[in-house]
Amino acid sequence: MFCGDGIIYLISFLGALSLYLFRNGINNPKTHLSSFLFFLILTIINPLVSHNGVTVLFVINNSPITLEALIYGFFASILIISVLYWFRTFSQIMTSDKLLYIFDRFSPKLALIISMSLRYIPLFGRQIKKINQCVKALGSYNEENVIDKAKLYLKTFSAMVTWTIENGIITAESMDARGYGVGKRSRYSNYFFSFPDVIFILLTFVLFMFSVFLIRNKSFEFYPSFSVSFSDESIIGYVLYGIIAFVPLFIEVKEELKWKYLKLKI
Amino acid sequence: MEILKTENLTFTYAGKKQPTIKNVSVNVNLGEFITICGATGSGKSTFLKLLKKEILPLGEKSGDVFFEGESLNTISDLKSASHIGYVMQRPEQQIVTDKVWHELAFGLENLNVPKNVISRKIAEMASYFGIEDWFDKSVDTLSGGQKQMLNLASVMVMNPKLLILDEPTSQLDPIASSDFLSTLKKINRDLGVTVIIAEHNLEELLTFSDKLMVFNEGEVLFFDSPENVIQKLSESSPFINYLPTPARIYKLSEVNGKCPLTVREGREFIKQNLKNNDVDLFVKDINTSKTKDVFLEFKNVYFRYSIELPDVLRDLNLKIFRNEIFCILGGNGSGKSTLFSVASNLEKPYSGHVKVKGKKLKEYTNQSLYKNCIAFLPQDVQSVFLSDSVSEEISEESISRFNLESLKDMNPYDLSGGEQQQVAIAKVLESNPQILLLDEPTKGIDKASILKVIEIIKDLKKSGKTVVIVTHDLEFASNVADRCALLFRGTIQSVENSKDFFCENNFYTTVENKMTRDYLSGIVTFDDLKNVFEIK
Repeated sequence: MFCGDGIIYLISFLGALSLYLFRNGINNPKTHLSSFLFFLILTIINPLVSHNGVTVLFVINNSPITLEALIYGFFASILIISVLYWFRTFSQIMTSDKLLYIFDRFSPKLALIISMSLRYIPLFGRQIKKINQCVKALGSYNEENVIDKAKLYLKTFSAMVTWTIENGIITAESMDARGYGVGKRSRYSNYFFSFPDVIFILLTFVLFMFSVFLIRNKSFEFYPSFSVSFSDESIIGYVLYGIIAFVPLFIEVKEELKWKYLKLKI
Repeated sequence: MEILKTENLTFTYAGKKQPTIKNVSVNVNLGEFITICGATGSGKSTFLKLLKKEILPLGEKSGDVFFEGESLNTISDLKSASHIGYVMQRPEQQIVTDKVWHELAFGLENLNVPKNVISRKIAEMASYFGIEDWFDKSVDTLSGGQKQMLNLASVMVMNPKLLILDEPTSQLDPIASSDFLSTLKKINRDLGVTVIIAEHNLEELLTFSDKLMVFNEGEVLFFDSPENVIQKLSESSPFINYLPTPARIYKLSEVNGKCPLTVREGREFIKQNLKNNDVDLFVKDINTSKTKDVFLEFKNVYFRYSIELPDVLRDLNLKIFRNEIFCILGGNGSGKSTLFSVASNLEKPYSGHVKVKGKKLKEYTNQSLYKNCIAFLPQDVQSVFLSDSVSEEISEESISRFNLESLKDMNPYDLSGGEQQQVAIAKVLESNPQILLLDEPTKGIDKASILKVIEIIKDLKKSGKTVVIVTHDLEFASNVADRCALLFRGTIQSVENSKDFFCENNFYTTVENKMTRDYLSGIVTFDDLKNVFEIK
């Protein structure tokens, strides 16, 4: 991904965006708008800090703004935005159950810790809010006064520590009572790896290796001047990479069509 | 066949001189359902913990506990973990993992059960306990009752022979706790699991308990069938207060014969033994409210937590007068607690307004609302405590006012539920509020403490305060309230004088009223019932 190849970035971005849009529609314009703003800011920042390149567009405060830096900024922000979109879909598809399944392979203890953290972090958040509201309603602190406010947070924090310890004891007892640490643990997850999953992973891997091999020669040169040169090999590489990037979308579309068809039969 | 036996069991907590458990020798037979009752601090919880090897408290133990003839000192870890199940008081803190299915699997994972067996066992449990619908959910989306049911299920999945429960329903509302208890009954009757349960509220439990164990200061006072225990109790015993209402009136009326335990038996009993059946207690409270000031007013209040969620309060109108005790009743999720958050300006309604003493909430700037004006005590009183000792929490003056001298140096977290409630009320009163909002003040506390809370609230009224209470506890509301209101789906359905309110409701009313409504009118509280029986 971080190969400095603009075409790869663009393919990846299109793949990520189309998958996200297909799954979610345009129901959340705020998400897209903020991504776009982020994209603009990143694109503009690069030429402001980096002054490499030969084509000077204009000069601000004795520092030249170059076309090359602007192009580089553009592609770099495409890269970052596409990573963002990939992860948005990732977090929708890879639920904690599936992640847990993967971590379980490496360390069951780590998996348990993750599962407990997933539960406790939101729980702490809610408790902090509760304590804060209580303290506020008790009227002992003045909100407009900075020192009082700091004192309040300190109090909340110490109350939170006490609460955590007191209630942690109960959780520990509950774990002990159900035989935690009696012996070797087995592990259970409600997610299972199927045969098609394995095939799919192998195929992706092979495709990826091929495309890396085919695009081994750099086709993008940003500095000192921007130049692009494609070989026949690299074009095949792009196509292979495109397949990887769009396979998730194909699967989604296929499943959607299948579902529509099955719904007709109900 | 006996499954559990204790021999001269004595236990002293580390750092204490007096033993908490004194010489307890009991036998429990296979398949029995045993209820333990006793005042807070009588040693019930300690006794239960001594039966479970993994959570043995720190201290000095003498005597022995035998499970299936094997001493707990020598029993294998595996056997103790899987054969003795233990469910605790607080639903939230017992849950370990983030998902319902994982919580169910947790115990079996610890026992190194293979994956396919776990899969079958948790499926079995989930359908038995009716948790299929929320099997995939995160545990923090569950209600308190569902959480406790999950705790029970995730213990039951290990197939224990003995199930120990320490006040499992104290944090639940009446409907959830009734559900929980009937599931327990089913487990005991269907699967033959021996159950030992400690509880404050015996109203329902005694109807299906085989034996009742009464604890007093670390000793077993009685251990026999509920009927026999009730016969043996003396009339002046403080344990009378713990009994279900029908049994209590039986005991006080000094009539011989079979002791009524259920509402149905109670109805028959009262009908037959009525001494004074032409009294009409239905004296309408003379309403002197013409000149009453409105102290707290809700006007067309709409509230929701976020745009996507449904309205919690909708078109809520309510007037609460100066110097009255007002109870708001309603089921789970009817918006009772939210109503308080809105009244104390912690959450803001999106439409309508709340007036306190004739002034809109937004006119109270710079915390003036919380000074000498309104105070809010949340349901979870632990979130009020910010310090390590009671004397740091509240001033000397409050300590002497509420007779809390003996608790002065203790950590608020070490107090019993009833004591925590008293300290929390004392703390809330420090800002000298005129309106006090109490959210479920009787949740999880024993009968004696409830009486104490009633006393405190009545004193507050005498000193000129206005008290608004949100509660599930109908007995408590009938004893304390001047007026009551029913909140249903975010709207106030009826506001009436306490007595009219309970007499006119058919389902949402006290046990006393349910037992007598067919042939007597106006009986709402236990004191009314005592009047009918001419008991002083």
